[in-house]
Amino acid sequence: MSGLFGALNIALSSLATSQEALETSSNNVANANTPGYSRQVPDLEAGAPVLYGSLALGTGVVLDKIESLRDPILEIQLNQQTQQNSSLNTQLTDLQQIQTGFSSSTTGIGADITNFFSSLQQLSPDPTNLSLRQSVLTAAGNLAGDFNTAATNLETQRGDLDQSVTQDVSQINTLTSQIANLNLQISELQNTGGGTNELVDQQTNLVRQLSTLVDVQAIPSGNGGVTLATSNGTTLVAGVQSFALSTEAGSDGTQHVFSGSQDITNTLTGGSLAGTIQIRDQEIPGVLNQLDQLASGLANAVNAANAKGYDLNGKAGGNIFAAPPAGVTGAAANMQVAITDPSLIAASADGTQGSNGNVANLLAAGTSPVVNGATPIDAYSNLVFQIGNATSNTSADADASGQILQQLQDQRNSVSGVSLNEEAANMVQYQTAYQAASRVVTTISNLLLDAVNLGEASTED
Amino acid sequence: MRVNPYPMPDLVAALNQAEQADEQVTLELSSGKSVNEPSDDPTAAALLVQNNDETTFNASYLQTLSSINGQLSDADSTLSSIQTALQQAISLGVQGANGTLSASDEAAIINQLQGIQSQVIGLANSSYEGKYLFGGTVTSTPPYTANASDPSGVTYHGNTDVNQVSVGNGYQIQVNQTGSQLFSAQGNGVFLALNQLIQAMQSNTGVEAAVTSLSSAANYLSAQSVFYGNAMDQVQSQTTYLNTAKLQLAQQQNTLGGVDLATAANELAQDQTDTQAAVEAISKFSQMGSLFDYLSSS
Repeated sequence: MSGLFGALNIALSSLATSQEALETSSNNVANANTPGYSRQVPDLEAGAPVLYGSLALGTGVVLDKIESLRDPILEIQLNQQTQQNSSLNTQLTDLQQIQTGFSSSTTGIGADITNFFSSLQQLSPDPTNLSLRQSVLTAAGNLAGDFNTAATNLETQRGDLDQSVTQDVSQINTLTSQIANLNLQISELQNTGGGTNELVDQQTNLVRQLSTLVDVQAIPSGNGGVTLATSNGTTLVAGVQSFALSTEAGSDGTQHVFSGSQDITNTLTGGSLAGTIQIRDQEIPGVLNQLDQLASGLANAVNAANAKGYDLNGKAGGNIFAAPPAGVTGAAANMQVAITDPSLIAASADGTQGSNGNVANLLAAGTSPVVNGATPIDAYSNLVFQIGNATSNTSADADASGQILQQLQDQRNSVSGVSLNEEAANMVQYQTAYQAASRVVTTISNLLLDAVNLGEASTED
Repeated sequence: MRVNPYPMPDLVAALNQAEQADEQVTLELSSGKSVNEPSDDPTAAALLVQNNDETTFNASYLQTLSSINGQLSDADSTLSSIQTALQQAISLGVQGANGTLSASDEAAIINQLQGIQSQVIGLANSSYEGKYLFGGTVTSTPPYTANASDPSGVTYHGNTDVNQVSVGNGYQIQVNQTGSQLFSAQGNGVFLALNQLIQAMQSNTGVEAAVTSLSSAANYLSAQSVFYGNAMDQVQSQTTYLNTAKLQLAQQQNTLGGVDLATAANELAQDQTDTQAAVEAISKFSQMGSLFDYLSSS
């Protein structure tokens, strides 16, 4: 339309777009602290011109779309780093719990081993002394008891981690189902031409939450939706459908993670679920196995040494510790002292009470390579080193990962974060434009009045 | 390039880090240990286990040494007493070899010799803390009983086994000589010689030869007794060595896992400064406000 009404329409378009732009700014300010929110900028465009002969007259301003500012590469990086960070932190917490059982050099299994052999050493100059012999049995009891406790604690922790797996899977399923639902909503909204900014932000947020749980890769699926799969190819969300994971007890007594009928427990590489599985299936069994080897090697060596000598009654020595299981598994949990009578310790080499000849053999059980080529105390100190090293390395990795995550977050904020100063400045701009446009409307309105009154006698004369 | 509009998370992270360091140093100061968890220093944690083992055994060996020293010393002084008695017997024998003694003098000498024989049997049956010293590993019954029908005048109830006591890593000291070794050795036994002297005096023949035999047996005993002096020397050396080792082990424990108070106190002061700085930075930022605070309604 040309003429005054044309000008009026142009001014009206400016009022409308300024208003919408103000709304956008106001929306940004309101959502400044909303997690996962990407700031929105109004995309203003000049309206398509109208041709009058050789003249092209503009038709005002049009709000083409409101764009959410995001960097898709950063989103991918953030997801990946979140997965790694979450896995590392989960592992760190679990490892720190494991290592509390091995923290002191003066108490615990290591000190018990030392005290047991040291009490045997005390028997060397005085082998018939019943009170010294009782001390040996007491020390043996402490050692067995601490082995039992350590094994039990590890098993209990494993059970707790089992529960975590189930809980994590349940949370994953909730999130994937929500994301699939969002995919549907986004595609429907896109079809009707509506703005999907908020929904896409929600989707991003949900995927980020999912990343804390499991290693998920998000591939955009065309109509604003996202396809999710684990790094090893297990599909979690495709189109508007989510594929729930399930947990079931495996033959080893732990909860395995299934996608349909496929066991994917060992294929997960990130998120707290993978971290939990790593500790539950690798670290804890590893430590348990080493404890079992230690308990078994020690008990067998001591028993064999005792059998070489004679007790206080002149009889050949029997077992001091209950014989450990042949397969080693469970040796620590079940370690027990087999005798209560101190006279049954076989200190004598020749059957006479006063001989201490077999004490040397009993002591040798502590200084011979009876646990996989290491002495008992070396095997234990090795275990302490391994646990401490694993924890220390994981801690360093988690710190580094946390810093990278923070940096990525900062980068994301510099792209998508709301700056209150910026929004304030924008609002001033839009406010001024609105004010100017309303002045234009007033002016044109006056002109229209003049035009309408053309030819009328002026009442001013 | 657009600046990150949210500086707060980074500031809070810095504050957390400073507070964590603060906590760690405080823990070290209050526990006196720099290694409170294996992850604090895995190598040190492993070495501390070894150190504890060596320290405990060190104390155990020292106790053992003290105990066997008592035993060795007791045996040694008993043997000295036996030597004294034997020398008495020898001088009595020399007197008895003199052909000019009266019958009652001879009877008196025989009496004294028999007394000495009883005394020596008694000494050979000495015990230390309830264990007989000279019966080998038969320590619960007296090794010697008088036996008139035996040429040596005694029966030996002990055995020929000796005890080795461990007093160091792989280091053992023999702690006894058997009666059979000391008193009844083939051809050198003091019991045999003593009994033969008595019989010689009783039959009034071969007294000089018997005195010579006894002298020779006493010398043999003396040579064998040196064992105890040597063993006590070994005990002394090992005790000295272990005492030095004890100091070194204590030092090692401190180096591995102890806290250097001066350094830690400095660190604590530094951490507290860092914490303070982070807190101030956060408070300054939160006071800064935004452009909205300056835009009045126009």
